[in-house]
Amino acid sequence: MGEIFTHLLNGFSVAMTPYNVLWLVLGSALGTVLGMLPGLGPTTGIALLLPLTFTMPPATALIAMSAIYYGAMFGGSRSSILLNVPGDGAAVASCFDGYPMAQQGRAEAALAMSAIASFIGGLMATVAFVFIALPMARFALKFGPAEYFVLMIFALAATAAISKAALLKGLISLIFGLMLTTVGLDFQAGTARFTFGIDELQGGIDFVIVIIGIFGIGEVFENLEHIAREVVKPVQTKFGKIWISMEDWKRSFWPILREAPVGFFIGILPGAGGTIAAMMAYNNEKQISKRKDEFGKGAIEGLAAPESANNACSVGAMIPMLTLGVPGSGTTAIMLGALLILGLQPGPLLFEQHPDIAWGVIASMFLGNVVCAVINIPLAGLLVRVLSVPGRILYPLIVAVAFLGVYTINFAAMDFVLLTILGFIGYLMKKFKVPTAPLILASVVGQMMEQSYRQSMMLSDGSFGIFFGSPICLVLWVLAIGSLVWPFISEARAAKKKAA
Amino acid sequence: MRPNAWVGLVAIVFGVAYGIQAWGLPRARIGNPMAPVYFPLGLAVLMVLLGAIVFIIEARKGLNSDDKSKRPKFHFQSMKLILFVIVLCFLYTALFDRIGFVFSTILFLMAMLLGINGGRGKLVKNTVITLVFSFGMWYIFVNIFQISLPASPLGIF
Repeated sequence: MGEIFTHLLNGFSVAMTPYNVLWLVLGSALGTVLGMLPGLGPTTGIALLLPLTFTMPPATALIAMSAIYYGAMFGGSRSSILLNVPGDGAAVASCFDGYPMAQQGRAEAALAMSAIASFIGGLMATVAFVFIALPMARFALKFGPAEYFVLMIFALAATAAISKAALLKGLISLIFGLMLTTVGLDFQAGTARFTFGIDELQGGIDFVIVIIGIFGIGEVFENLEHIAREVVKPVQTKFGKIWISMEDWKRSFWPILREAPVGFFIGILPGAGGTIAAMMAYNNEKQISKRKDEFGKGAIEGLAAPESANNACSVGAMIPMLTLGVPGSGTTAIMLGALLILGLQPGPLLFEQHPDIAWGVIASMFLGNVVCAVINIPLAGLLVRVLSVPGRILYPLIVAVAFLGVYTINFAAMDFVLLTILGFIGYLMKKFKVPTAPLILASVVGQMMEQSYRQSMMLSDGSFGIFFGSPICLVLWVLAIGSLVWPFISEARAAKKKAA
Repeated sequence: MRPNAWVGLVAIVFGVAYGIQAWGLPRARIGNPMAPVYFPLGLAVLMVLLGAIVFIIEARKGLNSDDKSKRPKFHFQSMKLILFVIVLCFLYTALFDRIGFVFSTILFLMAMLLGINGGRGKLVKNTVITLVFSFGMWYIFVNIFQISLPASPLGIF
């Protein structure tokens, strides 16, 4: 216990340097604005802002990215409440009661409650993070290449299996992502693979280009479809005092406390993300509430519960990324990738070799929650003005930012061609409802996965038995297979229940 | 054809093409000669298998028996706009190193805004946004982040 507090205090001394605090505030503000914009959300937001972090020291880069992430989670619900258009999937549940509240002239209470619930949820999850991180990182030291390979299979399988309807398409997306990582020089044999004689491809396809292309440009292409018919909804930008009444607080207090742990544990699980956490929290509260009939008509606890769970989930999602070095979501995959670019290997050794960075980030989560709450309550009126910028102006600017960001990776304009092609592929994937998150995750972990695979094969002299040789591997296989089979079991159970 | 059947078909074709390329990869000289090939070949096999499963599932439902109104739609107007942006992206690639970041971005962004936001009555707005963005980004990246961006042949910007 004493060891954890010493680390945490050191972490605060890292996070509270003026430069890091500056990026914490800037990241939170940028994240809030990007999270607000419908169709963008945290993943695309972080992807677009990622190149900004390349010039920063690693601790600052990670603090800035975490701040963008939390900021986006706070901001995602602004457009849910004011426009009934969620900034991202995790903010969908905030539309259910947030928008009716705004319609009833209670936008101030809704905005304040979403920020307060997010703040408390995030804070509770960060406290839990502090106590879980070190034991988890130490446990992960037992992992060899075979365990890592199977762990990555589990993370990828869980992400692909997130919806039963798109399970097979999710797996296709996943394999496509892994295929992209095989382009370029073979890191062991030194021979060129799938480069078709194009010199620029020898270094491989950088995953940042894949992410910005598939998410950023793909999203813009999809939005261009609606641009001709776009009607900018008028946004309320003048508010009274953004705060809640005692009655609102009493109604929301327990739902916030109950749903934060739910969100946190869902966040730790690979694949399940903020959307599931928020929806589950909403349904939980609706089921146990004495005012069931008020849900969907402006019940403040119906807004508080998903907001709390959603933010707790975003903190929980950082655990596998930081302690195991394996991301469980598209957003944390991008953060992991950024750390690799900066020359750091997240995972158990991060806590051993760079405790300043690992604990600096954890400390910044506490500070980030405070900053986000400050930005989102008093400055809500100012920030929501961004919602009145029409897409016709916004999207060309996003494309220009994306190109500039991609240029800073390799300083090669040829990457623009790849970016455009991947953007069009991302657009087609969205049109045919092929999930993009598995592709992103695979493009980040693909190379590590192949490396673990080949190291294991060398250790075992070519025998596949190594992947089933340890209890950890076996448990991970069970989890991986379970996550693929679970959607079918739960559907069958639901059908049985319905029939009964 | 059902949209998912298209997904399956594309996966099969892509998987076969990738698999052929993977099979032709150079073998390892030390250890198991097939070691560098297993991973990509495994991916190709999985891709073809998954594509085939998706296609067969859709074919059993009847390839054309779906609700046609729910199929992805590619409207001429929106495709024209997307194609326009793609062409601009390629032109930007060609000009970026030749005429420098600032001038190529001014042309790129202005053309995009004219195409997407429209020109009539919005020329001043589009021009201001373009100039503020291009010069602003140049200043931020070169002076604050100290990242060098291609300069124009004129020697300024």
